[in-house]
Amino acid sequence: MIIKYLRDNLRALAGWTVGLSAFLTMYLGIYASIKDDPATYSAQAMAKYPGALKDLMGGLQDIATGTGYLQTVVYQLIVPMLFVVCAMILANRAIAGPEEAGTLELVVTLPVERRRVVLERFAGLALGLLAVAAVTFVVVWGMTRQVGIDTPFGRLLAAHTGLYLLALFFGTLTLAVGAATGRKAAASAVLGVWAVLGYMVVTVGRGVDAVSWLRWVSPFHYYADGRPLYEGLPAGDYLVLAGATAVLALTAVLAFDRRDVGV
Amino acid sequence: MTAVVRAEGLSKYYGRRRGLEDLTLDIQPGEIFGYLGPNGAGKTTTIRLLMDLIRPTGGRVRVLGAPPGEAAIRARIGYLPGDLVLEGRERARDYLAFLGRMRGGVPPGRVTELAERLDADLSLPMRKLSKGNRQKIGLIQAFMHEPEFVILDEPTSGLDPLVQQEFLAMVREVRASGRTVLMSSHVLAEVEHVSDRVGIVRSGRLVAVENVAALREKAVRRVELHFDAPVPREAFEGLPGVRDLRVEGAAVRCTIDGRPDALVKAAARFTVVHLVSAEPDLEEIFLTYYSEEGAHHDHQVPA
Repeated sequence: MIIKYLRDNLRALAGWTVGLSAFLTMYLGIYASIKDDPATYSAQAMAKYPGALKDLMGGLQDIATGTGYLQTVVYQLIVPMLFVVCAMILANRAIAGPEEAGTLELVVTLPVERRRVVLERFAGLALGLLAVAAVTFVVVWGMTRQVGIDTPFGRLLAAHTGLYLLALFFGTLTLAVGAATGRKAAASAVLGVWAVLGYMVVTVGRGVDAVSWLRWVSPFHYYADGRPLYEGLPAGDYLVLAGATAVLALTAVLAFDRRDVGV
Repeated sequence: MTAVVRAEGLSKYYGRRRGLEDLTLDIQPGEIFGYLGPNGAGKTTTIRLLMDLIRPTGGRVRVLGAPPGEAAIRARIGYLPGDLVLEGRERARDYLAFLGRMRGGVPPGRVTELAERLDADLSLPMRKLSKGNRQKIGLIQAFMHEPEFVILDEPTSGLDPLVQQEFLAMVREVRASGRTVLMSSHVLAEVEHVSDRVGIVRSGRLVAVENVAALREKAVRRVELHFDAPVPREAFEGLPGVRDLRVEGAAVRCTIDGRPDALVKAAARFTVVHLVSAEPDLEEIFLTYYSEEGAHHDHQVPA
């Protein structure tokens, strides 16, 4: 069943992998010209964006250094968001999508426990995202060596692991809401609100006391706070992400087991 | 002998909307049970309860002696959903192979054999299948693993008459091998020729379960008798079961309820040259049930 889920989504997976890889290749390729004239580009970047937007992009202070550029362009905003969207799409294809389309009907009447159906689709989601993460990691690793960004392998792997855990968390969130409600729209809405607010809280909301405490429920806090690209694997933060994902997966299993399908 | 289906007081509400109310029904091994009712009467609700797709609000049900939630028993059931959706680029043949593996295997050649009988194209991607072809794939997957119990929700929709005949033959074969079929329909004519019993459901309630043979006996039958000479009206008046009597010279026309015995004996005193007896119109009985019930249940709830 895992294999079937992956094969059914092979096109989507391949598409996302190719798209993300192209995006990464292009953006990391630009660094070659930035490196030649760091002062100008750094000043330009600082001048170009107003304060709030700079916060949103993670500060931009050291965009002209290799690791700083990598952080800003790859691990700060756009790529994590793309990973989250990819995870959402895959996760919606696990339960809520087929249920709305009507194809889940035959699957649920197979001699397979409903719990197993959800667990295997969760496993499929985790493996699918792992494939996307692995390929893009190789691309990032290759490109950084190509353009002369010298972030150590271990740090890069730590950051990319965070990317994977973040995507898996949001994918599992989508899966859980979809498994509980059978509605793609509900799942996407919950994900969208949590992701956008979560990101705002740890960036522009950082200095605002009224909202900064909310960072404890923002997955982005655990993703970014440990600065894995500079300081290596933030094991504690990542364990929180993984633990929350496990809780959501369990929620998905139990919720789907209890309810009526396709009504 | 364990009943294939045993429902006791089975009810299902969708919020406040009634789907099915207080269904008590036994289906015995080896019978073909026709489940009849207009759209929205509760047929699909019943079937989806048996398949554990939805959970009852009240009452209990056993399928093949076990609660429907027990996954293992579903390997012994073949199920055709009322609204079958097949999509994607996957070829029908590959999807059937997947379903077969999940159900613990299908005898080799079985899928091809069924596909030939129903004239189904297995090489097309599923999203390209026409309505009729989709239904054929649905039937193949329901029959292919030779399940003990075949549940078919509106199986004949979208099938052309020739394929319908082949399908009915397949249903009879299931009975011949001692297995059981439950099929729903909103058209009696589709099920009356194969069913041993029919249950009639209306507005979420089972209003009648009838033996098809008994139903035939109850059926209103139009009879026309022609004699070699004019006959007296008195000879046919007041016969038990005879209604709407019209005597016109040498011809007698009437309808009879139940057995034609008295009429035949009365006619035997004269010389009969021609006898026409229309096939009992079960549809008419069916409608009689509805109109009787309909008087009491004006609020029909779609399910």
